[in-house]
Amino acid sequence: MRSSIPEISSVSWSSIITGKNPGEHNIYGFTELIPGTYTLSFPHFAKLKSPPFWSQEGTFVIINVPSTYPAAPLNGFLVSGFISPDLERAVHPPEYIDTLKAFNYKIDVDTKKARKSPMLLFKELFEALESRMKVCHYFWEKIDWDVFMVVFTGSDRLEHFLWHAYEDETHEYHTKFLEFFTRVDGCIQEIGESLRKSDSLIMLSDHGMEGTTFNVNVNCYLEEKGFLTGGKDPKRGYNNIQKGTKAFALDPGRIYINKKGKYPSGCIDHEEEEGLLHELVDTFTSLEKDGEKVIKKVYSKDEIYHGQYIGCAPDLVLLPRKGFNLKGGITPESVFDTDVLSGKHTQEDAFLYGKSNTHVPENPSVEDVVPLLKRIMGW
Amino acid sequence: MKPHNAEKTCWNCPAAVFKGNVDFRACGQSMEEIKSVEEGMIVIECARRPELGHFEPTITFEQCPEWVLFQYGLMLKNMKVMILGIDGYLGWTLALKLGRLGFKVSGIDNFLRRDCVMEKGAHTIVPIERMTERLHAAKEVLGVNINFRRIDIQDRSKLKEFMEEVKPEAIVHYAEIPSAPYSMVDCDHAVKVQENNVLGTLGLLFLIKEVVPETCLIKLGTMGEYGSPLTGRPLFEGMFPADAVMVWDNREWSLGGELTPRDPVSFYHVSKVQDTFNVYEACKYWWLRSYDVMQGVIYGVHTDEVAADPRLRTRLDVDEWFGTVMNRFVTQAILEMPLTIYGTGEQIRGFIALEDAMECMARLIVSPPEPGQYDVVNQVSGLHKLNVLAETVAKVAGTFGSDIKIQKLENPRVEADRHPFEAVSRKLPHVFGFTPKVSLEKEITRMFELLMQPDIKKRIEEKVHLIMPRTRWDGFKKVSDVLEVYEPGTREDMGYKPRLDRGQEKVEVEPELKT
Repeated sequence: MRSSIPEISSVSWSSIITGKNPGEHNIYGFTELIPGTYTLSFPHFAKLKSPPFWSQEGTFVIINVPSTYPAAPLNGFLVSGFISPDLERAVHPPEYIDTLKAFNYKIDVDTKKARKSPMLLFKELFEALESRMKVCHYFWEKIDWDVFMVVFTGSDRLEHFLWHAYEDETHEYHTKFLEFFTRVDGCIQEIGESLRKSDSLIMLSDHGMEGTTFNVNVNCYLEEKGFLTGGKDPKRGYNNIQKGTKAFALDPGRIYINKKGKYPSGCIDHEEEEGLLHELVDTFTSLEKDGEKVIKKVYSKDEIYHGQYIGCAPDLVLLPRKGFNLKGGITPESVFDTDVLSGKHTQEDAFLYGKSNTHVPENPSVEDVVPLLKRIMGW
Repeated sequence: MKPHNAEKTCWNCPAAVFKGNVDFRACGQSMEEIKSVEEGMIVIECARRPELGHFEPTITFEQCPEWVLFQYGLMLKNMKVMILGIDGYLGWTLALKLGRLGFKVSGIDNFLRRDCVMEKGAHTIVPIERMTERLHAAKEVLGVNINFRRIDIQDRSKLKEFMEEVKPEAIVHYAEIPSAPYSMVDCDHAVKVQENNVLGTLGLLFLIKEVVPETCLIKLGTMGEYGSPLTGRPLFEGMFPADAVMVWDNREWSLGGELTPRDPVSFYHVSKVQDTFNVYEACKYWWLRSYDVMQGVIYGVHTDEVAADPRLRTRLDVDEWFGTVMNRFVTQAILEMPLTIYGTGEQIRGFIALEDAMECMARLIVSPPEPGQYDVVNQVSGLHKLNVLAETVAKVAGTFGSDIKIQKLENPRVEADRHPFEAVSRKLPHVFGFTPKVSLEKEITRMFELLMQPDIKKRIEEKVHLIMPRTRWDGFKKVSDVLEVYEPGTREDMGYKPRLDRGQEKVEVEPELKT
């Protein structure tokens, strides 16, 4: 299955639960700028402009879907996934907060702990998974649902941190890596065995994964090529963007033209935009590391987005080649760097599985999941 | 020119509620509130502007509509300030000033200061009203509403309840027993001072962590924490500057950022030093934020607010336990008694007038530190040698027709009475935009004008026997022997010269207040 562009969870899950393109649901990344400013904000569920499938008639249990915080009312039960800064506003109806606490429910692994040691990462992963399964079993029985959805996010976290351990059979954590996936398989088996005869099953991932070697700090490259002028003060963030800046990037590879009238230091007139876009496309397609091209494809917004919120879309979106992980952020010091993370998302090899009677379409994308669900449910 | 706090960001703002860190590189988050940009992207919510959702704390005070221009920079609209020890000399004065400036003022007091003074048989020479009447007059005369509760700082459950109700955005901590001689009376008094001050502050730190971790604690310390090192080492603002170096045995170490040595000179001063360490540690452990204000010897009676009505006057103590040196000199001059200096009288101290000190506090309140930041501000507007100060008071007394002598007493304290003294006070002018407004002579004159009023002069006369020191640091109880009496202007200024380092750069002043 094709993931969203960019291939990140907030965008892809927003498409998965609405069946819409980002131009229609308005979520283009984990971050956006507060209108009229350079202040980075983290769009929450109220920013989603298309209704999720659980606004249809029926009873729903929705567990751990990313970008659904704060939990909005629905018929059934919902606990939000990443990013959920607190449990209190991540649960609907709120009377289930204590139930989740009693299960020691973990919204996500704590990445700060994960960065400290692989042992802590595995501890967090197994704890989060087991608590999620307890909650699954509880609501499976507690609520007479029509659609039950659960997202297991641990596999993504594990692959980000230890993809190299997966690829290297001699790595000390290789076995443990596989053990976690075995347990995830076990969870799927538990769910499968609980299905009633009339139930349909859909399984999917929101993106694929592969190894990565270098982070590519897109804003550093823009600065190096003279498109961006801004200090590197982490306390000011993007607010440090200076006059004269032509373009800047938000995570991961979303390029925005610094348009006059749209941003405080905006300086690009409408008639200058087209020429600048060509210039940027040429600049990015020529980016190389040790003789190897970094960017696989540069998309213009009209190529990939449609809908009434296309005005908020990035002007260009970069898709990297294997081995390169694109990064926004205004503070890094060099175009290329590395960190402990060894896995990165891929756009073209997410997967979609349906039991034989679910009519999975050919060459599907994340926007095809809701239509599939609609056919099954007869909505 | 920009206000002194224009460039501060949500990072500093008490309305920013920290919601944890996100780590997009790993599609992850952390619910731990590690408030360091090194630890991943920080997520906040704004208590004032919930419509902004979750965002990075990068908006400057200047950009934010919740921060508006006022007399001393930018202030958070209706900023909630809780004053602990609101009934005291400083607490009451600050409450009125902040209320008049548009802050929402709350406060606690258990009237311990009134009790301590009464216990020693003394009284405030400027009569003050009961709290009920004070609050009523503040509303009637100044239009200032103060949310007051009678609470002992050590009654943590009641204080917690009040903090939860108010959710203060800054806490000014004056709720300490502020007297070196009182702490030296005997064991019971030393214990009482240390218990109230040290344990009160320690408990407060736990409550801030639990209830309002985003608030700024502005804690009153004292320049006396530093002592007066005989080496002449400058009294830096709490920490050594970045380029300070220690050399020993042909080796060298940087001292930059380390706490400077403290050398307290009474059990009271020890309590303040212990507070310093407790506050410092709490900031480090729990990401609290605090200004530890090393205030010079405070003096004076005037602010526009306390002078607005007799019912709004703040207390003024001149007895040997609670009277600070300048207030005592003026009182002695009014009674035409000799001004008493201890030992050589060449002790050098930092000073600040009440009105200036209150302005400094307002500036600190609107310029909070970062999460986890413990910072020290040396709050002095001038340094003076005590015998020279006595000469100044005598001179002003002359303009009121008094002929005053100066009297040297055997020093009841254990302290150096001849020492070098260099104090650094660069932050007030260069970080907080403060320049002293009140000269010594001006405030001394104001004091004469107030204290010579017959009803007040009578109150001084009633307690004249409590002015001379009898509390000695060596534990013996006796009135200090007189060593010498002399006419002002007959002694040459000898020995060390005070040196106040306010930095070299031009001091910025606030822009004109826009209407």
